[in-house]
Parts: sequence; C-alpha cells; structure tokens
Amino acid sequence: METGVAFSVKDLYFKYPTSREDTIKGVSFDVHEGEIFGLLGPSGAGKSTTQKILIKLLEDYRGSIEYFGKDLKSMDSSFYEEIGVGFEVPVHFSKLTALENMRFFSGFYRKTADMQELMERVGLWEYRDVKVGEYSKGMKVRLNFVRAMLNKPRVLFLDEVTNGLDPKNARIIKDMIAEYRDKGGTVFLSTHLMNDVEQLCDRIAFCVDGRLVEISTPRDLKLKYGKREVRVEYREDGNIASAAFPLEDIGYNDEFLGLLRSGKVETIHSGETTMEEIFIIVTGVELK
Amino acid sequence: MSSLKKLIAGELKRLVRYKILPVSLATVIIWIVLFLFISEREAREIAPLLIFVDVAAMSILLLGASHHLEKQEGTIRSMMVMPGSPGQILATKTVASMVLALESAVATSAALFFIHGVTFNYAALLLFVTIAGAAHAAIGFALSLRSRDFTSMLGLLMAYMFLFTIPSILFHFDVIYAKYEWLLMVSPSHATNHLITSAVSGNFKIGMTIAGCLYLVILAAVLFKFAVYPRFKDNAARG
Repeated sequence: METGVAFSVKDLYFKYPTSREDTIKGVSFDVHEGEIFGLLGPSGAGKSTTQKILIKLLEDYRGSIEYFGKDLKSMDSSFYEEIGVGFEVPVHFSKLTALENMRFFSGFYRKTADMQELMERVGLWEYRDVKVGEYSKGMKVRLNFVRAMLNKPRVLFLDEVTNGLDPKNARIIKDMIAEYRDKGGTVFLSTHLMNDVEQLCDRIAFCVDGRLVEISTPRDLKLKYGKREVRVEYREDGNIASAAFPLEDIGYNDEFLGLLRSGKVETIHSGETTMEEIFIIVTGVELK
Repeated sequence: MSSLKKLIAGELKRLVRYKILPVSLATVIIWIVLFLFISEREAREIAPLLIFVDVAAMSILLLGASHHLEKQEGTIRSMMVMPGSPGQILATKTVASMVLALESAVATSAALFFIHGVTFNYAALLLFVTIAGAAHAAIGFALSLRSRDFTSMLGLLMAYMFLFTIPSILFHFDVIYAKYEWLLMVSPSHATNHLITSAVSGNFKIGMTIAGCLYLVILAAVLFKFAVYPRFKDNAARG
C-alpha cells in the first residue's frame, strides 16, 4: 500500500544564535505516514533540536521541511491541532489535579480523544483528582503520554517516552503506540532506550554531531552490522563449549550438522547483533 | 470560547491555586490594618505609595515567581505546542499581572473609603494602574527571562529597585527636590508613582501626566516587542 510522506526534510541546517557552528548540519530524511520513525543518537547529537524544529519551536532553520506536502514555515498554529508532543520531562501544573490539567489542555483543541479511556488505559483514572505534584515520576511520564494523545494527533512526537517507567507500564505505553501506528498514525520517536527502538520502530536514523549517518530498518541494520554466522553452545566433557559456523552453505557444513546430531547442543543463536551494539558502532558512543 | 479567553481563565485559576492572588491580598490586608491606625491625612498621603509599591515591585516579584515556577514545571513549553500563539500566552500572563495590580488598587481604595471616607478619581487611578501594570509586567518578564532562577531574578529586581524604585520613594518623602522630578520621570517606577499620586491627590500636572502615560505605554510596547517576545520564544524552546 502506498503511503504519504508526513515530513520531508531536505538539507536542514540550524544554528543557535549563541553557537559558533551549526547544530544541525545538512540533514535529509522522510518520515512516512503510518510508520514509527526513531531518531537515535548520543546526547548533544542534535536529536532534540531536530524535533524542536519539526514541532515549530525553533524556526530559523535553513533547508526545506514539508509537512504532508506543505511548507512547514507556512503552517500557522492550527498545525498544533494535528500533532501531539510527549516531552521527556513532566509538563504539567503541579498544583492542579491530573484531570484539571487534561481538561485545561484539551480545551484548546477542536478534536479531542476520550480522556477517561486514555487515563484508564495508563492506569491514572483512579488518581485523576490527585494533584500532579503528588504524582510519582512514572505517573507523570504516563500523564505526559496522555497529554500528547489528547487531540487525536495525526503525528505523534515522543521523546524518551518510557524513560522512568516500570516494565509493565512501559509495555502498556508501547502497546498504545503500536496500536496508534496500526490505525494509521505517524510517530516520530526520539530515544536512547534500545528496547523501545527494537520493539517499536519501523525505521531508524542515527544522528551524530548534527548529521544523519545511517537510516534504515532495524532488521536491515542488524543484517548489515551483524555477523553472518551461527553460534552454538554445547556440552563437552561436562563443560560448556561454543563454536561459530558461517551461514553460507551451513546445510552442508559437516561439523555443524554433526554437532546437531550429537544431541549435545544447548543453545543456538544467529550472529545478529543487538541495537545497542549497532548504536555503539554507528555513533562511536557507549550507551549509559 | 477563544484560545485567549481560555488561557486567561486558566491563568486566573492558577493565580488562586498557586496562592499568588491570596499572597497579594494578604499584602493588601497589611495596608488595610495600617489604615486603621493612622489619620485620614496620613492615609491619603501614604496610600499612593502603597499602591505604587504593589504595582511597581510586588507585581514584578509575583510575575517572576510564577514564571520560574512554570519554567520548572515545563508548562510553558507544553502551551507552546497547542493551538494559540506565544503572543497570546504572553498577553495572558500580562493580564494576570495587571489583575494583581488592579486588585491591590481596588482593595486599597475601598479600605480608604470605608475606614476614612476618602474618595478620589477612581477612573484615573484604574487607567494609570492598568498602564503601569502593563509596563511593569514587561519589566517583570524582561528580568525573569534574563535570570536563571528565582534567586537570580531577585538579584536583578534588587538592582532594578535600587536604580529606579528607591529614588522615587525618596522623592515621595521629599528627600529629592521637586525640581528634579522631570529627570526622575525617566524611571518607570517614578512615572508610575507620579501617575498614582496624581490620581489619589487630585493634583494633576497635565504635561507630566501625559508624558508619564505615553512613556509607560511606549516602554511596555518596546520591551514586549524587542526584549520579551523573542526571548520568551527562545526560552520556551530551550526549556
């Protein structure tokens, strides 16, 4: 099925007024409608700046950005009717209750989602009358996500969306994001959490020092950076031993086949690499 | 309801919930108690100074507190990505600041009337407080946006008061000669002090009153356009 392009970014450059050099240095990429596009990179690489440009918080950029075929600079504030933004840090009035916060923000949109349904889904409905200042970090993160979804956005921007969540709540949020994508929504995800990337992203881009150094699908990246081999762990004389076999002609590899027939095999893994290893290879920066 | 009306309604609600309005009212109550213990003549003399302090210093202080709290909470950034313009958000916060200034002027005027039976030109006072409130909201924003946190904002406010507010208070108590008043009118604080004193005393110097009004209106416009608006957007984007 042919899909449209939500964002088309060409030769994007951006310099902060107080900086000597460009923070974004000639970035080009497309975000397709109905995909989850992940932007990865070490701190200070330009991820947040790119996202701020796309959500029109920063405007003095060079290059072109089209939003569903329209010049982003020509879009007025009605642009915000169509996008939802989930910030990494909490963005709520701490002395107001969660429901008061959501009512305040939803009041500005023509089209709104079912607030109760969203809050129930992330487990906050029963705490709706509690002041946000009394919320835990995880609850504030979940409320951020609800805030981003309030206007039934066409494009959702999420920054470190599961950071600070326990595995159960992270799963709920990721399921909701996947469902949103399956219904045709577009997601621009910026994160350093490789679990999120593996589980959610259809395509990812690596940003290093203001440039995109790699754009591909997680699968293709794993194939590109992984080893084409099968690693086998087996028991020998009471000890665990391991051996690696090239994938080429593996069906004719007598040593490998003999090991399979021996019944000593305990684990078999293909040599695909993890996203974390790919991140380190591509960006040259260790994840913390 | 338009975005601006919703923003203003939300802002006024938060003035109460964040206890900014109650704190402002508490200050006025202190003034009211003071009126109970002084004569009508003394009350009439001191009232303009109390309203002036509320408009020229308290409103900056409360606006700074509110700005830095919202910066900490990230709510300005959240408002920047919803329908509505940064100009509307600024206008809302200016209205809230003016509400505080007007609340103080109205409560002080009411106290003067009920305690001492003092009346004066209320329309002029409200007009002057509105103009001065807008100018001092712009000054408050300019100081807040140039400070890292509330503590450093207090430092800037102290410096501002030392330069502009204290000389005006000294003038009020005749420490500075009247012949220097035109010079003092360069200070937004003194322009405000002059206007409020005129309204309460009924002693209008037409030239100086018009100059004071024009100066504060132009100052507010220039500050909002060149010092506040660009920096407000930049600050919100940087978070």
